[in-house]
Amino acid sequence: MKKYQLGEFEEVVMLTVGILYGEAYGVSIKKEIEQRLDRSVSVGALQSALKRLENKGYLRSYAGEATQERAGRPKRYFEITAYGKRALEYVRSTRNALWDAIPKIALDVKYLS
Amino acid sequence: MKPFPPKYLLRFFHWFCHPELHRYIEGDLLELYEERVKDSGRRKANVKFALDVLLLFRLSIIRPLKYPQALNHMAMYKNYFKVGIRNILKYKTFSFINIFGLAVAMSVCMLIILMLADQKSYDQFHTKKDRIYRVLLNALNNKRPAATNPFPLNATLKSNYPIVEDATFLMRGFGGDALYNQKFAMLKGYFTDTSFFNVFDYELEYGDKANALANPNTMIITQDIAVKLFGNEYPVGKTISFSDRGIDTWTDEAKPPVDWGEYTITGVLANNGVKSHLEFDVLVSSSSLPILYSENKVEDLSNNWAKHWRCYNYVLLREGHDINDLSRALDQIATSKFDDIDYLKGSEFLAQPLGNITPGPLYGNAPSNSLPNFVYYILSTLAFVIMLSACLNYANLSIARAITRSKEIGVRKVNGAKRENLISQFLSEAMITTLLALVLANILLIGLKKAFLNLWINEHLKFDLHAQWFVYFIFLGFALFIGLIAGLFPALKLSKYKPVISMKNLEVFRIGRLRIRKIMTSVQFVLSLLFIITSIVIYNQFRYFLQFEYGFNPQSVVNINLQSNDYQIVKNELGSIPGVLDISGCAYIPATGRNDGTTLTRPSTDTTTNAIDLHVDNSFLNILDINLIAGRNLPKVARDTNDYVLINTQAVMKLGYDHPASIVGELINVGKNRPHKVIGVFEDFNFFLPFSGRRTGPIALRHEPTRFKYVMVKIDPENNQVMSDLNEKWRLIDPIHPIDYEY
Repeated sequence: MKKYQLGEFEEVVMLTVGILYGEAYGVSIKKEIEQRLDRSVSVGALQSALKRLENKGYLRSYAGEATQERAGRPKRYFEITAYGKRALEYVRSTRNALWDAIPKIALDVKYLS
Repeated sequence: MKPFPPKYLLRFFHWFCHPELHRYIEGDLLELYEERVKDSGRRKANVKFALDVLLLFRLSIIRPLKYPQALNHMAMYKNYFKVGIRNILKYKTFSFINIFGLAVAMSVCMLIILMLADQKSYDQFHTKKDRIYRVLLNALNNKRPAATNPFPLNATLKSNYPIVEDATFLMRGFGGDALYNQKFAMLKGYFTDTSFFNVFDYELEYGDKANALANPNTMIITQDIAVKLFGNEYPVGKTISFSDRGIDTWTDEAKPPVDWGEYTITGVLANNGVKSHLEFDVLVSSSSLPILYSENKVEDLSNNWAKHWRCYNYVLLREGHDINDLSRALDQIATSKFDDIDYLKGSEFLAQPLGNITPGPLYGNAPSNSLPNFVYYILSTLAFVIMLSACLNYANLSIARAITRSKEIGVRKVNGAKRENLISQFLSEAMITTLLALVLANILLIGLKKAFLNLWINEHLKFDLHAQWFVYFIFLGFALFIGLIAGLFPALKLSKYKPVISMKNLEVFRIGRLRIRKIMTSVQFVLSLLFIITSIVIYNQFRYFLQFEYGFNPQSVVNINLQSNDYQIVKNELGSIPGVLDISGCAYIPATGRNDGTTLTRPSTDTTTNAIDLHVDNSFLNILDINLIAGRNLPKVARDTNDYVLINTQAVMKLGYDHPASIVGELINVGKNRPHKVIGVFEDFNFFLPFSGRRTGPIALRHEPTRFKYVMVKIDPENNQVMSDLNEKWRLIDPIHPIDYEY
């Protein structure tokens, strides 16, 4: 059994939350991902990923002040927990280990065809 | 003003979104929306917004089915129950009106449900019931189709139409006395063939279904009859002697007995409580018929398509064929067979599924009495209207009481009760009330059932109101449903109050919108008034019928069925009882619905009029207190020539005489046969039942003792002994048949 479960999209979301330290809420995360990775993210996909991550204990959230721009709806800010940090580190180290294990020749691919 | 996404999308989102997440996600959505409006315009933003909302519709975001913060529901309902009971006890008058009103309406509805359940349980025991059809004859000259058909129809259907898997018939005309070892039983029943048990699923207690009706002079009897005749002896194989008296389910008037020979019992029907529209004591093998034909005791109708009132036909279709196939076959038969019969030309056969017989429409010559189905429609509507007005009553009273409860509502709301909670509170209160009403209604129903079963009409309809278990389930479901209907409006209304207003300012309720309540109150009043007026009208009608002027005095007259006993003996024997004032024989009893017709013709002018034909003797006018206007009464002894007739004043006028006295002594032709001398003229009296709406025309009375079927006995109303004396005397005259009398 895997020690830490973290999907690809979930990993991206967590990393983005990390980048946006202190400013990570729904819209900012969405924009950051779209901008950096050049892929579109739907609100639904993002929100369900955030909820999953929170349930797993990798993220924690707190409600911000209600502001005028959002018609009085408060923002919900996210930050990475210690457990979440360990999960990210674990994923990163497993990836690195895998990278290191690849023989040089396997990646020396010439695009012939 | 800020741009705002379509309201309905937001509402939709609100509806499905998890309540915890809702505010934040909505904020994100609004922020995005605003930005998109700036970037790419309102329309695109709307589309994208809709897309986002749709994509948010996923498991992790939608509202869970159960509230995570669900409270202890049992405790809540316990509280509702407690408060409900306390409220009922606190306002006793109010609760009593509510419960009693609902209970009365419910008991009436339940009675009607019982009646319907009873009717619906008829003919349900036949396993092939979906493929069994009864054939009706819609004769052109009849008002409504009749259940009887020509006898040869059965054979024609069986031999010429492959869609018919089997067909059976029931031939009327077997009714009389069976005698075994000094024991006697009156039998009424049908001739039928072996197919009977193939079509229907009657069970036999003793005997073999396949062969029971195969041989001539064999019969199957019911268990009641078997006990009456044989007691504890084993009935199958016993032989009884039967004498026919021409009685059947339609009439009790008997003819003189004719010996029909010996019959062997080959089977006894099981008494397993199944209900059928067919009523019989006996089934006789149809192979007995040829013997009776040859002895001239029964008319041979084997090839007679014209006489259509003796035989019922039931058809079992093959699987895969439906009523349309049968109708086509029947149409073919009707056109080919009725063409050369004058009065049946153009008549047609109709097929009726077995399930539609009881309850079903009214047909002529029906084998048993039952209420036609439109009566049930009327009754159901009536029940619905009564129930509706009771529900309105409950709703009105509950809302009117709302003021006293507004504080409770307010406190509950302040303590965090949601509208749903209050709705379920008021609904559960309504349920408690209706369940209490159900208990009371059941008690009322016991009395109501007894009263209903004792009505004279039930003697003919044979309602069986013993509820089966599923009827109680219907009742319970019915009560809960009524609770829901009655409680819904007050619950919705009362739960709407805002807590602050409801606790602070009671005046608000009085001024509040009264429109719906006004409508409800008015509807309730209209319905109640309607009921009161109808009851008064019906009561007055009824009283009118009871006090109807027949023109004769029917008081203290007992009508006794002669049951084929000799009239002179009966008259002599009964006449010897002290307290019997006078006795007259008659062919049938006037003003009971029956009337025989004849024509009166004045030979000199050929003036003809229809008249009611009744055979009586000289005491008839005296017994009913009818006055003679002119001439004399009928002679005491009927002369062999039998040529006197008494007529009423109507007949005198119709025949063209101006004065009653001038017709006395004249010769008048009665019917086609021979002239009668008019011996006297009597006052008009009403021959028809008052509600038939028919006016009595000419009446002709003749003295012919051989036609007498009843005796009318005038008794001394002061003498209480007379009835028991009559009973005793009757036992001497006719030890076999019990006395059959009515007032």
